[in-house]
Amino acid sequence: MSGLRIVGAAWRSLARSKLRTFFMMLGVAVGVAALTALASVGEATRQETLRQFKRMLGTFDTLTIRPGAGSTRGMPSVGAVEPSLKFADGPAIAEGVPGVLRVAQVQQTFDLDVSYRDESVVPLVLGVSSNWADIRDETVASGAHLTDEDERTLARVTVIGPDVASALFHGEDPLGKVIRIADVPFQVKGVMASRGAGPGGSSLDNVLVIPVTTASKRLFNRDYLTTLIVQLRDENDSDRVADDVRALLRERHRIIPPAEDDFTVSSPRATLAQIEQVGSALSKIVTGVAVIATLIGGAVIMSLMLIGVSERRREIGVRRAVGATRADVMIQFLAEAALISVLGGVIGIVIGAGGATVGALLQKLPPAYMWSMIGGAAALSLAVGVVFGLYPAWKAANVDPIEALRS
Amino acid sequence: MIEASHLSRTYTRGDGTPVTALRDVSLVIAPGEFVVVRGASGSGKSSLLNILGCLDTPTSGSYRLGGENVSALSDNERSHVRSKRIGFVFQNFNLLPRATALENVELPALYTGAAPDHARARQLLEHVGLGGRADHFATELSGGEQQRVAIARALMNDPPLLLADEPTGNLDSAAGESVMQLLTSLQREGRTIVLVTHDEHVASFADREIVIRDGVVASDTRRRERGQA
Ligand SMILES: Nc1ncnc2c1ncn2[C@@H]1O[C@H](COP(=O)(O)OP(=O)(O)O)[C@@H](O)[C@H]1O
Ligand SMILES: [Mg+2]
Repeated sequence: MSGLRIVGAAWRSLARSKLRTFFMMLGVAVGVAALTALASVGEATRQETLRQFKRMLGTFDTLTIRPGAGSTRGMPSVGAVEPSLKFADGPAIAEGVPGVLRVAQVQQTFDLDVSYRDESVVPLVLGVSSNWADIRDETVASGAHLTDEDERTLARVTVIGPDVASALFHGEDPLGKVIRIADVPFQVKGVMASRGAGPGGSSLDNVLVIPVTTASKRLFNRDYLTTLIVQLRDENDSDRVADDVRALLRERHRIIPPAEDDFTVSSPRATLAQIEQVGSALSKIVTGVAVIATLIGGAVIMSLMLIGVSERRREIGVRRAVGATRADVMIQFLAEAALISVLGGVIGIVIGAGGATVGALLQKLPPAYMWSMIGGAAALSLAVGVVFGLYPAWKAANVDPIEALRS
Repeated sequence: MIEASHLSRTYTRGDGTPVTALRDVSLVIAPGEFVVVRGASGSGKSSLLNILGCLDTPTSGSYRLGGENVSALSDNERSHVRSKRIGFVFQNFNLLPRATALENVELPALYTGAAPDHARARQLLEHVGLGGRADHFATELSGGEQQRVAIARALMNDPPLLLADEPTGNLDSAAGESVMQLLTSLQREGRTIVLVTHDEHVASFADREIVIRDGVVASDTRRRERGQA
């Protein structure tokens, strides 16, 4: 028999017992739908997480240096960190480490009241050097960013995030207005462009920036930093630059082995790699569960096929009598199992992808489909049909035609 | 057409004891003969027919079909012999119930490797008087009609040998009569027919009658010259 005729015969045979065919497809369809939907939802979520981190980190061609050994969780606040990172460390890195384009200095805190007339908010307050906006690709929606002049003269000027602007000004134009940060008056010289949502969907716009010099001398009265942002000439160079920065800072901070670093260098790429890893561990678990569901579908196919073989003994006998070889019978039953399973798989993929699309839209995410997983699901359903069809098909091929035709 | 010499067939029962259904059966059947095999129930008629039809192999003895020693063939090769050279007709028709009359007739063509000849299948249905029933399911047909579909199926690959095991056993006398007329006409086309029956009247259609008793040929008589109905 030719391939097409085999599939055609299998199709007719399945069409003759629709109810059984339906139940045989069900298991695989459910498994594959779960596989497709979970993988696609997972992929949409993963892509969104990456977008969120990218927005928070700004750019990928940077290294971040924070005070203290080990990775401190959460956001450091000036006053709550080790005073180990000095202002002078910034220029020293910029000049002393090859491959470094420039270094931004940051002092941050998030526990200061910011008020305008009767309104007040508690945003993230960032004291930043004037190159910060450029390094992070931050743009202003109106007004202007901080300048070298602002930094040098310890100007009491601020650029506020959109959330702060709307909370304090309710649509009034903030430019030129004077707001109070911990009771110190600052003139608004710009409003930042929206940065969207960060990790966990939280807003990145509830923020304001002031010159780091002003922050240090007029607001916090601290001469150490919470963050240094090192911009690289070539982002592929980040490992080597990180090592050089570490060596330089140990020397500047007079750290002698076996004493540990009093700072931590991290790269956005390493952070991303970590997120990707968590994502892939999760997707492995999800995949495992769905694969098991599909295998259960395969077991359903096998047991219903076995029942089918014993019900169809006479048919098998007739086919053998009119000239079918054992191999013909085997191929027929295998083709039926494979066709059922693949049809179940296709239905599962359609349902799963549909479910994933609805799921993503409900979460207001752009839908994403993990095509490798969908292709894998299709291949899996074919394999499940063949593997689980093998034993019933072998049984069918070995039905004794004389026995089957008697009575 | 058929040269069987010293055929024996011994089955092993479930409890391991042997049952000998045929012993030392030798017979020669010429091309175009219409032979009826008679005998009491359990005498070994079906066992003989299964061997002649290459569904079964003799425990000992040799069977030549059209000059070829088919008792030495593999399961695969015997399938091909059945496909091309033998047509079966059963007592209980054995049509595929959820297939149409036409699909049933075309079934043997599936296993020839050639493209299906729908026109031939329709023509065969016409020939057995069921041209108008081609698209009926087997279950929608009367017993006599089902048996005629089964005969059309047996003819699909144009085999020279037809084997029928009590083909009228489940039919009323009118339907049985028309089936026998049909078989007789097939003999006139030149086919060799071996038919197992209890029925004296059915036996009267054949040229030659072989009686089997306890697995042995008890008598072999020519009733009339070949094809002289
Ligand atoms: N598969 C089998 N296993 C054991 N005994 C069998 C088997 N098939 C037939 N027999 C026995 O062989 C003898 C002949 O059977 P069979 O050829 O069917 O006779 P008939 O067709 O003349 O009624 C019977 O005694 C029957 O019980
Ligand atoms: Mg019998």
